[in-house]
Amino acid sequence: MRGRDLVRKELAELSASRAWWLLLIVVGLLTGQAFIGAVRTYAEMSAPAALAQGLSPLDGIVVPTLGAYDLAIMLLFPFVAIRLVANERATGALKIVLQWPVSRGGIVLAKLGALAIAWLISLVPFAIAIGLWAAYGGHLHGAELANVVAGYTLRFLLTAGLSMAAAALLPGAANAAVAVLAFTIGTWALDFVAAGRGGWIQQLATYTPAAVLRSFERGLFRVDVALVLCIVTIATLAVTAIAIDLGAGLRSRSLRIAVVCLVAIVAAVGAANIRTSFDLSENRRSSFAPAESRALAGIAEPLQLTVWLSPEDPRLMDLEANTLLKLRRTMRVHVAYPLAGRTALFDNDERYGTIEYRLGGRQAVNRSTTEAIVLETIFGLARVPVQPPEEARYPGYPLRAQPRGAGVVFYLVWPVCTLAIAWRRLWT
Amino acid sequence: MTAPLLTVEGLTADRGGRRILDDVSFSAARAGEILGVIGPNGAGKTTLFECVAGLQPVTRGTVAGVARFYMPDAVRPWPDQTVAWTLRLMAKVSGATMEWLPELDLERVARQRVSSLSKGETKRLNVALALLAPQPVLMLDEPFDGLDVRQTRKVMALLRRVQRTLIVSIHQLTDAAKICDRVLLLNEGRVVAAGTPGELGDLEELFLART
Repeated sequence: MRGRDLVRKELAELSASRAWWLLLIVVGLLTGQAFIGAVRTYAEMSAPAALAQGLSPLDGIVVPTLGAYDLAIMLLFPFVAIRLVANERATGALKIVLQWPVSRGGIVLAKLGALAIAWLISLVPFAIAIGLWAAYGGHLHGAELANVVAGYTLRFLLTAGLSMAAAALLPGAANAAVAVLAFTIGTWALDFVAAGRGGWIQQLATYTPAAVLRSFERGLFRVDVALVLCIVTIATLAVTAIAIDLGAGLRSRSLRIAVVCLVAIVAAVGAANIRTSFDLSENRRSSFAPAESRALAGIAEPLQLTVWLSPEDPRLMDLEANTLLKLRRTMRVHVAYPLAGRTALFDNDERYGTIEYRLGGRQAVNRSTTEAIVLETIFGLARVPVQPPEEARYPGYPLRAQPRGAGVVFYLVWPVCTLAIAWRRLWT
Repeated sequence: MTAPLLTVEGLTADRGGRRILDDVSFSAARAGEILGVIGPNGAGKTTLFECVAGLQPVTRGTVAGVARFYMPDAVRPWPDQTVAWTLRLMAKVSGATMEWLPELDLERVARQRVSSLSKGETKRLNVALALLAPQPVLMLDEPFDGLDVRQTRKVMALLRRVQRTLIVSIHQLTDAAKICDRVLLLNEGRVVAAGTPGELGDLEELFLART
């Protein structure tokens, strides 16, 4: 049996599932709601000249519209993916499939292939939204659009792999669904706990699905993030293939799963050390100006920073999301967070709010988190001339358009067409 | 003398600290042979089939010979698909033709979903799926369970005619005596009697005496 036939079989199973058709309808409605709201807000923000400058369709249209898919990946797709495995287990069909002249890896890959096709089909409402935006005269930047879609696709593949592994390991679809949702909630908790703590926990938190999407959503393609996601996804597929090996004893399967997890952890830790990243955003928001980047890259010594801010302090969040992110991409930086895990509200410590810099035996302290001051301090310590500020070259793309026709497409045409196809497939 | 198509030696299987199969040995010698496995509920018939098919772990023992296919009892594979889809899928796996299909009376329900089939129709579908499997040895769990007398006769005739090596578990001992070339009586995971129906005599008496 060819792989193509196996994928077709899985697609037939997928299209026989009511959950899949419901997902398609819901994704269309959510995408429409997000897109229409985004276009209106964008139009409002395009009116004042001050706001319109630097207005980016990535932030204003693409990311909010894709937000619907974040919900779908978290709450809807797991059920569709779980069904593909759990249904065959429950009906006994898996025992038949396992006796076909196909490897278990082939069986799992066919399921993933069908789910990947399902993902592409579910992206049709997003493609329609982007088409409508272009028709309104909206600007799009190909690289940043492709990057953010790639990020969501990696996120989807991870969820698909996790869902299948859960369905293969646990008895019953309900248990698998609870396990996948628990994983999602666990990553939220990790995201929350790790903020501003530094160390391995903060690094681990950069690979949670939410953090991964944030990175892609700002137009940044981090090789380490993409690799870690791929490694974890492959590991979940391997776990699925092992878990459905009904002929192997529990001990043998557990041992093999443990080996897969160990190999995946080692590979992921190795991948996490790769610092290569590409700023694919049109406004280069994850990069310093070229002259500043060159000057920072020329500093040989590592920069040591001690940030005396509590994790909840918005100044720390701002520093992390902007200046530190850019610094980490440009030079070697070690950051210490002495107030990690504390509110520091009652400490009455004079050092609170300060940032200590150490570079090549020289030290400096100040309280500013703004990019210009941070860079000035670093250049001062490195005895490098301060780079003159460059003119912002990103013009911004204001557009005062109304979402004409979007309501009809997303609230009427999409659900009616999907229902009609679903009716034909399910009930005739 | 040619080697048996399938040889099972000293097969032992444990589940949850309980011995389900204990040193089971048998062989299926030739194409077209029908080996019946009889025994009370919980004797280990299904476990035996699943172990031979590689669908359950084996504690000890060996299974050697040609590839084999096991069709479980009481399965409704791909319940949301139609009967025709399910048969086409299986035919694609093996590349086999279905010239014998009319004998199973499945055309009438070809466009029906598997989930809507009666027990007897599901059983006939499962027999068809097994016959479409590419493996030379087929193991069928309770293939006549749920079939009326007419359908039982039809399925028996078909299984005889297809000339595949079959290992079937059967609860109806009269059916076993009619269709099987050899019979294994399994009790508490052990083979307690084996031979041709002629050698074993009245299977019902044997069953009551040995189990």
